[in-house]
Amino acid sequence: MLFRDAFKTATRSLTHGKMRSVLTMLGIVIGIASVIVLMSIGQSAQDLILNQVQGIGSNLVVITPGAPSNGKFSAPASAQGIIITTLQMQDVSALQREPSILAVAPLVSGQADVVYGNNSATESYQGVSANMFSVRNLTIGKGSAFTDSDVNSANHVAVIGPDLAKTLFGAYSDPINKTIRIKDVSFRVVGVLSKGGTGAFGVDQGNIVVIPITVAQKELLGISYLNTILVEANPNYDINFVTSRITFELAQDHGITDPNKYDFNIQTQADILSLLGNITSILTLFLAAIASISLIVGGIGIMNIMLVAVTERTREIGLRKAVGATDGDILQQFLIESVLLTFVGGLIGVIAGASIVGAVYLVLSTFTSIGWVFAFPISAVVLGLSVSAVAGIAFGIYPARQAGRKNPIDALRYE
Amino acid sequence: MIEVRDLKKEYLEEETPTLALRGVTFTIEKGEFVSIMGPSGSGKSTLLHILSFLDRPSSGSYTFLGKSIDDMDDKELAHVRNSDMGFVFQSFNLLSRLSVYDNVEIPLLYSGVAPAKRRARIEQSVESVGLSDKLYQEAGKLSGGQKQRVAIARALVTEPDVIFADEPTGNLDSKSGAQIMEILESLNDKGRTIVLVTHETHTAEFADRIIRIKDGVVESDKPVEKSRHSKEEFIK
Repeated sequence: MLFRDAFKTATRSLTHGKMRSVLTMLGIVIGIASVIVLMSIGQSAQDLILNQVQGIGSNLVVITPGAPSNGKFSAPASAQGIIITTLQMQDVSALQREPSILAVAPLVSGQADVVYGNNSATESYQGVSANMFSVRNLTIGKGSAFTDSDVNSANHVAVIGPDLAKTLFGAYSDPINKTIRIKDVSFRVVGVLSKGGTGAFGVDQGNIVVIPITVAQKELLGISYLNTILVEANPNYDINFVTSRITFELAQDHGITDPNKYDFNIQTQADILSLLGNITSILTLFLAAIASISLIVGGIGIMNIMLVAVTERTREIGLRKAVGATDGDILQQFLIESVLLTFVGGLIGVIAGASIVGAVYLVLSTFTSIGWVFAFPISAVVLGLSVSAVAGIAFGIYPARQAGRKNPIDALRYE
Repeated sequence: MIEVRDLKKEYLEEETPTLALRGVTFTIEKGEFVSIMGPSGSGKSTLLHILSFLDRPSSGSYTFLGKSIDDMDDKELAHVRNSDMGFVFQSFNLLSRLSVYDNVEIPLLYSGVAPAKRRARIEQSVESVGLSDKLYQEAGKLSGGQKQRVAIARALVTEPDVIFADEPTGNLDSKSGAQIMEILESLNDKGRTIVLVTHETHTAEFADRIIRIKDGVVESDKPVEKSRHSKEEFIK
């Protein structure tokens, strides 16, 4: 039988039961649309996260205390509840002498109630050196940042996030030169950051309090070690060279010769990007896997309807075989029908999915400040269409074989 | 053209073997009009199924146009059914949602006739049964007699050597039945072999020869004394 004839025969019998064909297709439409939507949302989320990490700059190197994990990213020791005191201020001075490094910014952090008058909020505070503002690209909206001399003389000054400013002072009152209290220590607010939202390293910049590291270490935390050292590499040097220089300096400073005993961890933006890329890819895959469940359900719907159709059309099959159709001709006809159902369903699903993705983008970009990225991976379309065609074969082959194997005599007698 | 020798067919009915044909032997020459008669359960339908390549015998030999059924695989049987045999059934077996044209086209779909060459053959076939004006009507909306004429047109469209008709008048009133028999008769006059299965004597007598089957064997095999009388009686 010519494919053209088989195709015509199949479309004809599908259009004869329009309502049934449409309802059968619906399962596949929903399945494919959800795969497309979840894959593209996953992709958007991935782009968004990676963009933020890229926002910290490709020449940023993060040093945390604790044993290195050989290139693999692991949670900093501090986050695991282990206190490691190996990073010290002297490491900062040692790194500052290195010509391949532009800036070294030490950081300590903690959490406490921030109080102004009757208002208070439990927030993270970061004790930093004055150059942290430029290293982290933190921009000041109101007032100014504190200076090296503020840090050196341990002045009680603070820069706060815009959301926290609203919480403590209300929307209309000027926070500059007001005094806030953290752990019963008074700080004069000298600046408000311009940008809210979640910044690099998952810190909510809208609600942060930034104070001189000297004050944070001595008066709030009572420690002399550092939680993190941020290094801004000199862009004229290769980033791998810079990390090797940092490793060398710190090892020398700590008096360690065996690389297995290093007590510091160096990560570049590339490390973080690849880790986050892995996590979000797994997330996207996971979402797609969930969506495929609906695809399987849709496929079973197709199989069910095709089995019903084979039974209903037993006499037709008998007749076709009597006048010369082979098993293969009958199998082909029913297989084309199911593939046509799933493929058209898949096509509609792709269009529906794309529309939903577009709508999500429009809503998010219009009504929220999230920098949502429009991502519509072509791979999702290709995947959607090929999966639907394959589903047509996979779920259609059994009914089609049933049809092909029917004995013409029994089929002709079938009432 | 058709040669069967000691044909046997055994069925398993609820695990007990039942012999539907117990050794049937006859030949049908090209251009003959043969009726196979017998009461229900006689094995006449089983015989027709084997003759028309829809089933295989358990033992014995069957040669059609010089080729033995034993030498052919299912694909070849399908091919012979398509090109050398035409089928007319008691219940018409038309696809009721398709037009007359599309119904008659069905055998051509499996014959490899190029789409461009089909139209003329379909039109000619439909014309030969006098339904040219119904070419694009839905088959389901035709009367019983018209349906059977469409079925005959479908059987003719591949220009087969033989037409197997299984109780073709069984579902028709006597007037339509007579028309169908006349069409078959005129086809035979033009040289086509007709094998008719029926249990009605007056229908069987349109043939030149009647083979009576009873309990799986040939009871008698006699030519028909052609008398206009019986036909006229039927038409009444």
